[in-house]
Amino acid sequence: MLQVEGVTVRYGHVAAVREATLRVEAGELVTLIGANGAGKSTLLKAISGLLPLAAGEIRFEGRSLGNASARAVLTAGIAHCPEGRRVFPQLTVRENLDMGAYLRRDRVAVASDLREVFALFPRLEERRAQAAGTLSGGEQQMLAIARALMSRPKLMLFDEPSLGLAPTLVERTFEIVAEIRRRGTTVLMVEQNALAALGMCDRSYLLETGRIVQHGTGDEMLANPHIQKAYLGG
Amino acid sequence: MDQFLQHIVNGTILGGTYALLGIGLTLIFGIMRVVNFTHGELYAFGAYMAYLLVQVLQVNFFLSLVLAAALGVALGALIEFVLLRRLRGADIDTVMLVMIGAGIALQNFWQLAFSGVAKSINHPFPNLPLVFGPVSVAPIRIFVIIVAIALLIGFYLLINRTRIGVAMRASFQDPDVAALMGVNIPLMRTLTFGLGSGLAAIAGALLGPIFVVTPTMGDLVALKAFAIVILGGLGNIVGATIGGFVLGIVEEFGAGYISSGYRDAMGFLLIIVVLAFKPQGLFAAKERIG
Repeated sequence: MLQVEGVTVRYGHVAAVREATLRVEAGELVTLIGANGAGKSTLLKAISGLLPLAAGEIRFEGRSLGNASARAVLTAGIAHCPEGRRVFPQLTVRENLDMGAYLRRDRVAVASDLREVFALFPRLEERRAQAAGTLSGGEQQMLAIARALMSRPKLMLFDEPSLGLAPTLVERTFEIVAEIRRRGTTVLMVEQNALAALGMCDRSYLLETGRIVQHGTGDEMLANPHIQKAYLGG
Repeated sequence: MDQFLQHIVNGTILGGTYALLGIGLTLIFGIMRVVNFTHGELYAFGAYMAYLLVQVLQVNFFLSLVLAAALGVALGALIEFVLLRRLRGADIDTVMLVMIGAGIALQNFWQLAFSGVAKSINHPFPNLPLVFGPVSVAPIRIFVIIVAIALLIGFYLLINRTRIGVAMRASFQDPDVAALMGVNIPLMRTLTFGLGSGLAAIAGALLGPIFVVTPTMGDLVALKAFAIVILGGLGNIVGATIGGFVLGIVEEFGAGYISSGYRDAMGFLLIIVVLAFKPQGLFAAKERIG
């Protein structure tokens, strides 16, 4: 479904991601793990069209996304749930969700997706008229996920969905990611919490200083001595 | 007391056009983070276009106002497209210098094209004031305030109730994430600058028939628009609306009770007082909307 081939992304002269190659098949839940600053978020932003590629190629469903705009990537069916939630604080919950469906013209289907999203996150329905900035951190994360779902993506990119949340909410967030995949959306998730990320995924990639250094199924990665030592506290 | 009411009415009428200028400027600042030094020139442009259409081309007065506003939107969009789009990511000093230069160029162009002689614009309203008890108002001024209020309401609805308005506010709050939602940010910037400029142009076209039209008419008005934006809190549309009316009324009181020579000073005095006691602006604590 998604092929990233030899992608390099630079900030000025610094290459944050170097020659990264990965793939995600339809229906999979793939995670991208690694330490802070390893280039995980940068790679996601490059896929979403927020950062230009210095080299390499990104293909989605066989079509090149080259240096496509964020708008074109979204239209192709990739939604990005950004790091740190990034809800629009002064828009209401409902307006945030409307922004998620900004490019869609099929009003009837949008209305039914909105009902579905509210069924998944009843708290958001209760708070639909409230400014998003007044929500708790957990609620904001739910809103960020719901907003991304409103574009009805084929592939959903999650950037550190558990960041800064209380432990019970972290668990709940991962349950939701799993649920989204169960409902048929392919998932590529960046996550610092390697244990959780490896436990729930089909396959995973490990990024270190901008390079993909390991790759395998969740179980293979969990069993890898280097990963155990560096990322699982073993 | 009779005079008091008269001042309130005059101040409100003036304030309506100040509010139009203020929300145009605050919208551009809020969404684009650009301090628009051409705002006063767009105001003069609106007045000159009204002059050109009404006096020279003999176009219907009301149609001329609509056309002047539309031309203001077009000129604003052009300025954004030609100058600001190339300056994305440039530092704020560079952008300011370019905008100041553009303002100087535009003002001199008005002088070149229309000469320095003040122009007046005829309007179809009777000159005899309407008398309501102690208050008397020229019909053209009633027309101006009605149009201003209608535009303010329309603009408020556009920003708060439409898809494009929600996208504008989202772009203001987080342009990167708005782009992730599929918002065409460069287009949004052009649109915003055009709309803000159109509001300045219609303010000029509305006041042109009341005052006279000169190449430098935008100078003082631009300063006042900045004052309104500061008063209302940067980027706050409701604040700028209220700020416009407050400034209009304060100026009227200053002119009426102290001396008409102090009219323009009153507004700035007010700004100094507000900034001394509430430097974030009167409405900064409230939610910013635009």
